[in-house]
Amino acid sequence: MNVDISGAKIFYTFPFDFPILGKLSISETMVVSWIVIAVITGLCIWLTRDLKVENISKRQALAEMIVDTANHFVIGNMGEKFSYMIPFVSALFATSVVSNLISLIGLRSPTADLSTEAAWAVIVFILITYQKIKAGGVGGYLKGFTQPIPLLTPFNILSELATPISMACRHFGNILSGLVIDTLIYGALAVASSALLGLIPGIVGNVLSKIPILSVGVPAITGVYFDWFSGCMQAFIFCMLTTMYIANAAEG
Amino acid sequence: MQVQDLVTIIPWNFIATICNLFIQIYLIKRFLFKPVNEVLAKRKSLADAQISDAVKTNDEAKALKAQYEQDMLAAKQRASEILSTAQKNAQIQSEELVREANAQAAAIKAKAENDIAQEKRKAVNEIKDEIGGMAVEIAGKVIERELNENDHAKLIDEFIASVGEA
Repeated sequence: MNVDISGAKIFYTFPFDFPILGKLSISETMVVSWIVIAVITGLCIWLTRDLKVENISKRQALAEMIVDTANHFVIGNMGEKFSYMIPFVSALFATSVVSNLISLIGLRSPTADLSTEAAWAVIVFILITYQKIKAGGVGGYLKGFTQPIPLLTPFNILSELATPISMACRHFGNILSGLVIDTLIYGALAVASSALLGLIPGIVGNVLSKIPILSVGVPAITGVYFDWFSGCMQAFIFCMLTTMYIANAAEG
Repeated sequence: MQVQDLVTIIPWNFIATICNLFIQIYLIKRFLFKPVNEVLAKRKSLADAQISDAVKTNDEAKALKAQYEQDMLAAKQRASEILSTAQKNAQIQSEELVREANAQAAAIKAKAENDIAQEKRKAVNEIKDEIGGMAVEIAGKVIERELNENDHAKLIDEFIASVGEA
């Protein structure tokens, strides 16, 4: 049995070195995330093709339902004044879901790379901090760390930093574990089918045992949880936390 | 082929993801939210326009109805007025007609009575003349036979008396 669980492939590395950032390399994560952007944008264009005011098509009804759901989600969680956050939260959710589910067609999820989630979490962290400073001023923001007693300042700073880290690691961990489990299941099923079909004597058994027949079908069932459910759930949780944290930050 | 570590943060991937997210925000805004929100807004304004239109039409209909009811009332009043006037006129006319008829009838009756009286008088006169003639004739005949003065006078008197009675 030969199971290989590794990080994203690096397709090409530019030969020159950047300071701090290191060598620029085109990785699987980047390429698949471009595909994700293309998929989402294509879907948006397809959904909003030929919009009408009356007598709408099912496609348009779906588009309107998505927009309506996004509006309600953001305004319900954050209030009317954050309606400018709707495209941000929607883009985050769409990218997350499509990235998580793109593993179903055999591509490596960009979300199975911690860099992706870290980037999202940092943006969310910046937004949280911006809202806090906007609500209480720089002084108020810094003073917030010494509440309720100055002794707790280090812990407050830790808890502040823990927010993006926990968000990123929660999402990453779930997707990576899905990937690991899928890989393990595929490996195990290949071993199981070769052992099972190897029982058939003669050349037939030899040939059939090379084909992982059990790998067809069974991963689809386990994938319902590890890919579909987990993927949608993590995207939802990430967006939920984003809206909650930012709305809380604005309240001061 | 080279691979990344399984759990690591690659700065370029990090930067690319941030850029991708902002590109995605723009694209989703441009291609999903903008057109759909436009359509929703258009539909909302259309619905609002229709509602205000309906309200206006309703108000107009109400005003029209009130006007109509008022007109109806006026018309009814007018009709009853006309009817009562007509009735009054008819009564007056009929009374006049009756009176005229009565007067005519009375005139006719008076004339008829007059005629009758005249005719009677005329008849009586004629009869008297005839009787006179007859008396002369009778007298002639009596004279032919035997003229008795007494008989003669008696006869004439009797005749005249009987004619006067008739």
